[in-house]
Amino acid sequence: MGQSMYIFLLVGFVGFAILAIFLRDLLKAAISLAFSSIFLAMIFFHMKAYYVGVFEISVVAGLITVLFIATIGLTKGQGDVKERKIPLVIFPLFFIAFLFLDVVIMNALKTQMAVLSGKPEVPHFPQVLWGFRTLDLVGQIGVIFAGVFAVLALFRKGGTHE
Amino acid sequence: MLFLFIAIPLAVASILPLLGKISKRVLPDLLGNLTLVFLLGYTLWIGKELSQAGGIVQRLEWLGEPLAIVLVLDGFSHLMLFTVSSVALCVTLFSIDYMKHYGEKVPYYALFLMMIAGMNGLLLSPDIFGIFLFLELSAIASYGLVAYGLGHDELEASFKYLMLSAVASGFVLLAIVLLFGLTGSLALGDIAMGLRALPPSPLVWVCVAFFVMGFGLKAAIVPFHAWLPDAHPSAPASISAMLSGLLIKVSGIYALTRLLFNVFGVTPTLSTVLLYLGTLSMVVGAFLALGQNDIKRMLAYSSISQIGYILLGLGAGNPLGLLGGLFHIMNHAMAKALLFLDSGSIERATGTRDLQKMGGLASRMPLTAATSVVGSLSIAGVPPLNGFWSKLLIILGLIEAKHYGFALIAILASVLTLWYYLVIQRKAFFGKLNEIWRGVVEAPFWMSASTVILALGCIGIGIFFSPMLKTWISPAVEILYGGTVHALNFLGL
Repeated sequence: MGQSMYIFLLVGFVGFAILAIFLRDLLKAAISLAFSSIFLAMIFFHMKAYYVGVFEISVVAGLITVLFIATIGLTKGQGDVKERKIPLVIFPLFFIAFLFLDVVIMNALKTQMAVLSGKPEVPHFPQVLWGFRTLDLVGQIGVIFAGVFAVLALFRKGGTHE
Repeated sequence: MLFLFIAIPLAVASILPLLGKISKRVLPDLLGNLTLVFLLGYTLWIGKELSQAGGIVQRLEWLGEPLAIVLVLDGFSHLMLFTVSSVALCVTLFSIDYMKHYGEKVPYYALFLMMIAGMNGLLLSPDIFGIFLFLELSAIASYGLVAYGLGHDELEASFKYLMLSAVASGFVLLAIVLLFGLTGSLALGDIAMGLRALPPSPLVWVCVAFFVMGFGLKAAIVPFHAWLPDAHPSAPASISAMLSGLLIKVSGIYALTRLLFNVFGVTPTLSTVLLYLGTLSMVVGAFLALGQNDIKRMLAYSSISQIGYILLGLGAGNPLGLLGGLFHIMNHAMAKALLFLDSGSIERATGTRDLQKMGGLASRMPLTAATSVVGSLSIAGVPPLNGFWSKLLIILGLIEAKHYGFALIAILASVLTLWYYLVIQRKAFFGKLNEIWRGVVEAPFWMSASTVILALGCIGIGIFFSPMLKTWISPAVEILYGGTVHALNFLGL
């Protein structure tokens, strides 16, 4: 796996993510986000984080894209919404600043990070989840429930507060 | 059993939609309030054990096998748990009558309890990723609650809040990744130990900066405050009370303080940063509050200003300053929740939040007016109310640390605070009654009862401030003053 392949995957990941923000057509934006997610999953696979890669493809690129497309299919257009042009100028500036921070500073500092410079000892995924991070599962279950309840609250009937 | 602080609200929230089918009106109110009564009672009960042991570490087991669930309670988290459960109970009591005109209550209470579970989890987790996860849980629940009214303003405010909160989460997550890279652990104690062993590195400062930006956004510290003046006024009053009174303190101030004091260790440079950020928030928040006509927006800006006081107390770094800062967390939570609930009573009675349209409401809503005066004077720091003592301690702490300039600014900002709170009182409650409000009546029983309880709390804590300081605040100060040693001895797993 060469450096060029990583760069290709990163460019694909970031490029489709940016496209998802700037595309005005919601359907195309959702599909672009799915492509971005596939690139991210490929990066995970190449970093040998197979479980994360599988979750990324199945849940983010798969399930969430289906949900997005289904929801977009249910919505009706309500006329054009005027959008500000400022993000078009500000976003590239922020993006360049971020790239500078990421490439120059983080790259220079990564040798100082003990975990990155040493050889990782990777326990098996279920062992990590059940043996070390059980509280995270409780939190994750809570997050999922909170998301579901938020959707129930937002789509409840007759709840508009006048 | 510390896990009950997370499990009970999570479990009740999860079964509410099913039980809500049986009774849509009574059961959600009953379950929501009973859960908070239990949490408050349990917080008080566990305090006895805590005072004897000095700290509680709980490792959960399942059928004799240890689970990787470790929770820790010390003086600081206990103070915050007490503040959360007591204020949240008053808010749920208020919600019994107030939420009637928002339609179905089941999703409201489910989200409310999720938010409580998230805050409790954050307070009890000795693991930085656990803190992040529970921070997200409370945040996601709060997005839904801010938008609960489903109006244009509510949805826009919720979206803005979500976007800026996501940025904050990004900063926090990035800092966590860096810390894990540096120390190879996510446990607070192990991170503190790892950082001690490290040679001086700019990467540690990058982590601190990301945490200050991330948690600063959550706490709405100036200049990271843009989301708060939209989100807090747009939410239902009960949720504004929770956000301004509790959530910004738990997910912003508590998390930041815990990390800076017990994990990184506060240096003079860091203290100076806290002092300047605190002063900026205090002054900018106060001036912005002064120009508002929307009562809830004014209260929201006031929250930014009061967060500044808390930071000043923490930045002073001495026991007196810390005592004042932590005491102000509790006092501001009570007084600001009270004022937001009162604003909800006014809005419900008059249909407006515009101070220019109000006037003379004290004759129609005497209880709301009286409790609002108590809350206002408390936040303004008028003796003998609770806010006076915490502000006094902060200012004394600053003087003791020889930060005379910051102390003077704090006093002047307090005068400014009194000014805009008197403006609220004069415009809303006093003067000649506006004819269109002649039909206005006092808020229903539960709404009035909850505000009266909070007002009595402000007065009671003010009168009995000495035992309050000894019982609740001093143990928390000892934890912070213990610095990283506390983390090494207690939070290392």
